[in-house]
Parts: sequence; structure tokens; C-alpha cells
Amino acid sequence: MELIVCVRRVRDGAEPGRSAIGPLERHALEEALRLKERFGGRVTALTMGSPPAGRALEEALAAGADRAVFLCDERFAGADTLATARTLSHGIRRLGPFDLLLCGNESATGATGQVGPQLAEFLGVPCVTHVRRLEAPAPDRLLAERALEHGHMRVEVRLPALVAVVKGINAPRLPTVWGIMAAAGKEITVWNAEDLGLDPGLVGLEGSPTRLVRELTKEFGRRKEIFSGPPEEAVKKAVARLKELGVL
Amino acid sequence: MDFGLTKQQEMLRNVVREFAEAELAPRAAELDERGEFPLEQARRTAELGLVGIVTSPEYGGSGMGHLARMIAIEEVSRVYPPLGFFLQVAPMGIYILETAGTEDQKRKYLPALCRAEKFIATAVTEPTGGSDPTAMQSTARADGDGWVLNGRKVFITIGEVADLVVVVARTDDKFNAFLVEKGTPGFEAPRREKHAGLRSIPVSELAFTGCRVPKENLVGQEGRGLAAALAAIAAVGRTGVAGVALGVAQGSYEAALRFAKERRLYGRPVADLQAIQFMLVDMNVGIEAGRLLAYKAAWLLDQGKSPRDAGADIARAKLYTVYVANDVAAKAVEVLGACGTTPEYHVIRRLRDGLELLAAAGTQQVMKVIIGGSIVR
Repeated sequence: MELIVCVRRVRDGAEPGRSAIGPLERHALEEALRLKERFGGRVTALTMGSPPAGRALEEALAAGADRAVFLCDERFAGADTLATARTLSHGIRRLGPFDLLLCGNESATGATGQVGPQLAEFLGVPCVTHVRRLEAPAPDRLLAERALEHGHMRVEVRLPALVAVVKGINAPRLPTVWGIMAAAGKEITVWNAEDLGLDPGLVGLEGSPTRLVRELTKEFGRRKEIFSGPPEEAVKKAVARLKELGVL
Repeated sequence: MDFGLTKQQEMLRNVVREFAEAELAPRAAELDERGEFPLEQARRTAELGLVGIVTSPEYGGSGMGHLARMIAIEEVSRVYPPLGFFLQVAPMGIYILETAGTEDQKRKYLPALCRAEKFIATAVTEPTGGSDPTAMQSTARADGDGWVLNGRKVFITIGEVADLVVVVARTDDKFNAFLVEKGTPGFEAPRREKHAGLRSIPVSELAFTGCRVPKENLVGQEGRGLAAALAAIAAVGRTGVAGVALGVAQGSYEAALRFAKERRLYGRPVADLQAIQFMLVDMNVGIEAGRLLAYKAAWLLDQGKSPRDAGADIARAKLYTVYVANDVAAKAVEVLGACGTTPEYHVIRRLRDGLELLAAAGTQQVMKVIIGGSIVR
């Protein structure tokens, strides 16, 4: 089976004990490694970014990926989801035919969940998102359980396809010492915009139809008010106050 | 001079830290309280490749080296020192077999030992004193196609859970080492000694009464058994203890620092008060210095220096880091004030564990004898 995992670097993965790979991407990688263990084949880890993103690939290799591809070009910086998906799709096309493309359902930062579906569209493959369980009755056919807000949905998909996974699908393995040492002998191929045949106007900030204007952190403050007196009175006061605040 | 770790060593540190935080931290206090050998956790370290980390992949090890081992032991001990201590002691028997054993012995035992399917203990110390090994009284007498062992060993770490024990005994005025399997008639682990610290690691007394072992269970050349054991104690035991000490110190220091930043007195965090801050500084400097000594000793072994030639460096590492661990753990108790001795903050547990390191793999005084010998010679 030819398996490709899109691995995203966590921005501050530089702390000891913190993985450089995003949490959902680790689940995606684990799923790929399990499929390879079952059916044989190859796992390729792929990422797009600036040089520090290479750490995520080293970790993927140590966990058991067979090879890694790094789409590295300073012009890729500032990419929104569309530009990212476009760049990734060129990288994947250059790798050749694949059976399954795995990624995290959404990033830990932007959390749009758009890259998976956009990537599938660019590549012309079916896309299954919010996957919390994956069964492989055959190496060319998958049964996916999708997590919905209220319940779940089971779908069957023929390969090649893209699957975007959510938390809880598996327990990601830790690299072992053997894996860490073997990773040193595995290659990380680096491609830039020219290598991918990409028009620089279609990548990075330039190729992004959406721009990040502002990031706001939602803060939850707390207001404390005490309504005293016998219960009936206190309740009346509380209800009046809630009406005043427009809550009731 | 490059003080940096390699990418692989950094990755190893990250992986072991994640393992320790995710799988050990939630249960550390409970495991310590129960005082039972952490079998599941020990097997997990083997799965990650930490038990055979200085053993050749040819025999099931991962072969990353002594510095890697030091890093791994520190990271485990930062959270749960008893498991770090297990990683200190288990590879000693493995190392003896790898350096002194026959090819048959290596192939027969090492893979299972590296996988922690079986455990191995090393028995040298007797009531006559671990610091005076040549005074040992246990005997090994050649008898027909085997040997007969008689005697008593004390303070043998994991002696009672071990499937195999490397036993050193005297034959006239020479010393031989033997592999004795659990269940061999005449071999018993009669008593478990109670300890203040490292409670989940069993330390036992072993008794040999007319215990017969086949001649292929002799480890190393005849007459060279004690030398092989002492080399393992230095290269693997002592360096391992230094790693545990670093972990105990680092864990205590972080707990004290975290507390000092949150606890407020006189309108500010106590970490801002010089009296407390200077204690934290002393801890910080001690740990940095200890780590450098420990790393150097490990690095020398990785460069191919023999345990004998690196003996003084290894002794310095153990001597210094263990005193630092005890000092830092005690200071952490002080920084926490009245909370210092309560179980919730875990510093008192570390202080107890630190005490066990004083006499492990050779007492602090024996370390000074080794260093003294190297400078005065």
C-alpha cells in the first residue's frame, strides 16, 4: 500500500517532551503505520513549511515512516488553506500514485478543517472527514466511521482516497530507540516551488485568496452577584436581574 | 568544544520525557506507596529500547550508547526514580554477559533480557561488605561437570524478581562469576529488605546452599569473574546511578521552582525573595555541574574508554550527582515550607529516593577512594 501522511509542524514543538508533530497528525501517522503493518507497503511523510518544520519529518521517520518529503521554500510562507492545499497537491502528484492520503481533520491553530477537502479536490480523489475509526476489509477499500455532532456515520470508500482523522481514532506510538537510530539513515527529500512546477504567484501569501487579519482570544470573565434574603425574594431578584441583562 | 546533543539524543530526550509524563507521572505516587515492582512500566521501557540501550542490536539491544542511556535514565527518574533505578541495575547483568559471556550465553539470554521478558540481577555484596568485595565468603567449588555454590548475598537489587542472577563467589583465592537461574535447587531469595526510598524496587537477600550449576554457566574466564562484575558496576551501575541522581535533582528542582513562582508572601512570589531565589540558584548550579560530570563520563565510555580507564571520571560523576540530588531534594522540601513533607507535592518522596543512591553502585566514600587512588598514584 502506498500511504502518504500530511504532517503539520506544531509551532512551539521545541520544548522537551512535546512532539513537533501536531496532535491530529500523529493520529494520522499512526493509522498509516498500522495499515502498512497489516498490508505491507510504504509510508511517506510530507510537510510544507520553513526549515524548522523539518523536525516534524524527523520525528515521523523515527516513528516508522519510510521516507519524508519536505516542501520547503520561503515563498510558501503566509499560505492560507487553499495555497497550502495547492502546494501539497503538487508535492503529492510528484510522488506518484498513492492508495491513501491521511491528514488531521483540522490544525491545532487555524482549525478550519479546509485543507483536507481542498487537497482531495485538487487531486481528484474522494474525501472522508471527521474519521474516528477506520477499518480496512481489503487493501483497496475502507470502512470509515465519521464523528458527527450528534451520532456517527459509516461510509465505505474505494481507494485512492483522502481520510482526515480526529482525536481518539488510535493511540499514537512513541518512537523507539531503534526507530530514532534508523531515522538517521532515511532520506528527507526537499523540493521548492520550481521543483514542484508551481507558479510563485499561486503559493504562499501571494497565492492566498484569504488573509489572516486579526486573531482574537476569547476571554471568559466572571461577574459575581449575590441575591440575599428569603428564597422567594432572592429568586425574584435574580430573575429580574437576568431579564435586565437580556439573558431571559 | 560542542556541548550540544545530537539530534537523535534530543529526540530521545523528548520521547522519554513524553513517556514519563504520559505513562509514569499519573501513577508514580501510587506505585511508590504500594511498593510493588512496576512490571508493566519496566516492560514498556524495554519496548522503547531503553533496557538494551548500550547492548548491540546483534543481541537484541538498541546500541545507542552510554550518553543516550544517561539521558533516558534522567528523564525517567525526573518523574519516577524507581524505574530509573531499574534501568540502572538491569543492564548490569546484560553488560557482564555481553562483555564476558560466551557466544552461546549471549544468544541464549540477551534478547529476552533486552525485551524485559526476563530480568537479571547481579550479586556481589555480602554481609562482609560490598565495599570490600574480596572479603566475600561465598564459595564456588568445582565438582564433576559443574560447580557448587554456598553462601549468602545481601542488598541485591531486583534479586527476588530476577529470573537470572550473576553470582560472584570465591574459589580458593580467585573469584568466579556464575549464571544461576531462578528455581535452581539450593538457590533461594529468603528475605526482602525494607527501604526508606525507591520502595517499588525490591532489594533482597539471596541464599545458596549446595546450589549446583552446570559448567557452561560460568561467566567469563576462570578467575576473572569479580573483575567482570566490577567493570559492569562501574560502566553501567555507577553511570546509571548518576543518571538517576540527575533525575531526582531535576524533578525536585522543578517542583520547588514551580511552587516558588506560585506561592506568594509579602505581595509577591517567593521566588522573587532572595532567600528563596538563592536556594533555587544553588540547586540550578549544582544540577548543571553534575550533569556535565555525568555526561563526560558517559561520553568517555562512548569514545571507547574502558571502565577502568574512565574509572575516576565515573566515580566523580556518581559522587557529585548523588550529593547534589540529596542536597537539591532537601532544599526543595525547605522551599515548600510546611508543604514540603506532604505527599501531594512529591518532594519528600524524591528525598527518600535520593538517600538510596548514597550506597548504590559503591558508596560515596568508595568513590573518593577511587578518585584518590587516581590522583595520588
